Amino acid sequence: MGREVAESCIDGVIIEMVSAYASSFYSSKPDLAARRIEAIGFQVGHQLSERYTMERPRFADHLEAIKFICKDFWSELFKKQIDNLKTNHRGTFVLQDNHFRWLTRISLDPAAVANNDATSESESGADMTSMLLYFPCGIIRGALNNLGISCAVSADMTNLPACSFVIRIKA
Amino acid sequence: MQFFSGSTSTESSLLPAAPPGTGAGGPGNNAHMLYIFNRAGVCLLYREWNRPLRTLDPQQDHKLMFGLLFSLRSFTAKIDPTTAEKGNLGVPLLPGQGCSFYSFKTNTYQLNFMETPSGIKLILITHSRTGDQREALKYIYNLYVEYVVKNPLYVPSTPIQCDLFTKNLDQYVRTLI
Repeated sequence: MGREVAESCIDGVIIEMVSAYASSFYSSKPDLAARRIEAIGFQVGHQLSERYTMERPRFADHLEAIKFICKDFWSELFKKQIDNLKTNHRGTFVLQDNHFRWLTRISLDPAAVANNDATSESESGADMTSMLLYFPCGIIRGALNNLGISCAVSADMTNLPACSFVIRIKA
Repeated sequence: MQFFSGSTSTESSLLPAAPPGTGAGGPGNNAHMLYIFNRAGVCLLYREWNRPLRTLDPQQDHKLMFGLLFSLRSFTAKIDPTTAEKGNLGVPLLPGQGCSFYSFKTNTYQLNFMETPSGIKLILITHSRTGDQREALKYIYNLYVEYVVKNPLYVPSTPIQCDLFTKNLDQYVRTLI
């Protein structure tokens, strides 16, 4: 439905948005920048989940909704499914993607990693990557919110390009 | 440019009659060096795999290389006998204007050159028995776009320090003949 755009355009827009919010709009307040990026992701996830659940019946329980996120939603967004889903059956889910599409091209600057310090003007690679990851967290939160589940999502990037998203459902 | 004094050089170990595609080629690589410049002459990347002789310090080397190719491109476009419009000598050429020179060969090495419409110049120096390297340069440019331009952490027009790019580049160059 609708027209199509090249994927590199989307990549470019997302990179520029994250970098604009992190470095120019709120350069001294990284928490505010993170919240804004997450809020943008929330809007996007809200609208996308509306579009992708048009023909489906209502979800029976939380697990069904999370499985929808893992399979259909993720394959619409990133052309693959979530590789690993873990839960503690008490409202916490861990979604693991072993080759997250937006992280495949990040390579941390080896010199900066060796020095292990971030100068005051520039963000280190790890900071920028975590800023970038707030956007998919927001998307997941927005999608679940539209399905009636309010939750908190955080990302964990211990080894790129694999990353995992932790969803905590508010009881 | 560089004068290899003495009749023998270490390249003699690199000139096997290896069939294309094997890339085995003896102890070293078949490609010697790679330079990437942007439109303003900033050297974005300099990689060397096999360089027996160094005559200049790196800064001068980069400036000389950029200046040479700038003038050479202008010169080859101006003495082209097949095109009608020439323009004045000394007017800087836009990327893509005029005929495009793509390599020169000496008895010891071959310099392959490619310029993209965005002004990125790729210079690959190989030993003199290699054939046309335009496909290889296009592939390297593709690697540059994928791993450098699309890297969220890369600031444009600064020297490239991306791990993924250099790793893939080394891997690809090892398969070149």
